[in-house]
Amino acid sequence: MQDRDGIDDLFALARERRMVPSEALVARVLADAAAEQPKARPEVAGGVAGGAVLMPVPLRARGGWLARLAGVFGGFGGLAGVGGAALAGVVLGFAQPAQVTDFTDVVTYSILGGEAAALDLMPTTDSLMAEE
Amino acid sequence: MPRDRIDALSDEALLAFYAGGDAAAARELTARLVPRALGYAGRLLGDRAEAEDVAQEAMLRLWRAAPGWRAGEAQVSTWLYRVVTNLCTDRLRRRQRRGPVGLDADAPEVADGAAGPEDGLIEADRMAALDRALAALPERQRQALVLRHIEGLSNPEIAAVMDIGVEAVESLTARAKRALAALLAGQRGALGYGEA
Repeated sequence: MQDRDGIDDLFALARERRMVPSEALVARVLADAAAEQPKARPEVAGGVAGGAVLMPVPLRARGGWLARLAGVFGGFGGLAGVGGAALAGVVLGFAQPAQVTDFTDVVTYSILGGEAAALDLMPTTDSLMAEE
Repeated sequence: MPRDRIDALSDEALLAFYAGGDAAAARELTARLVPRALGYAGRLLGDRAEAEDVAQEAMLRLWRAAPGWRAGEAQVSTWLYRVVTNLCTDRLRRRQRRGPVGLDADAPEVADGAAGPEDGLIEADRMAALDRALAALPERQRQALVLRHIEGLSNPEIAAVMDIGVEAVESLTARAKRALAALLAGQRGALGYGEA
């Protein structure tokens, strides 16, 4: 079809005179690409450039020994709970509050019928021998 | 890797390399796609600074889409044109809400050709006439016409970009070309053809 209006010529001219990206735009786009790029995977090592072998970036160890200890207990919350319980045990052991001794007395008398003044939780071999 | 081997890689393959951490793939994709995104946005918006912002934003979305890109689902270039189209539509609507802007001052800046100063002026006048006429077209007609006749996309590719059927693209481009001819008829002097 004849281009009576010269429109096809205009389109051809427009294709020739396209906007050319500025260096600043290319730099911005490449900076975005670098910021968004996932880390290199081993299966694509070598990549498009070929010569440069891209090694996977090792995961950086986060925190020190305290962080690793917290990890054992499922995080810092778990570590705080365990630490709090241990501290409470120490306090109770030293202070022996009246409520606690009353409670243990009740338990002792209900189990042993008031015959024992104290419950020996770690009997020695002598006491075991004496029972026989 | 030799240059001809990089050239042989498809956009999709390069995107997979990029997602795998390859910086050279990012450079190649930038070289291939940014001129297209910028040129298309420039024709739709008529403003270089805005077109650069759109091209950068569209490429940013491509980088972010790379890790989850599903092979064979869409052409990378078609996907990018679609993103550029949507970004330009948003900007044009915001511009309309702010009020009309004179297009003469915002005519796209184009690459310097090999033509002499006088020829360059004539060509610049012709490009300005084309841009004025394109700007006067309805938005969808302008998109279809630029994609078909300046960006060189096929009708099925345009259909994918514009999310319409191929027949609708044919109808849209035909109507757009007739409307453009009518708009340019009054500017034949500027186009360098003289009066018929």
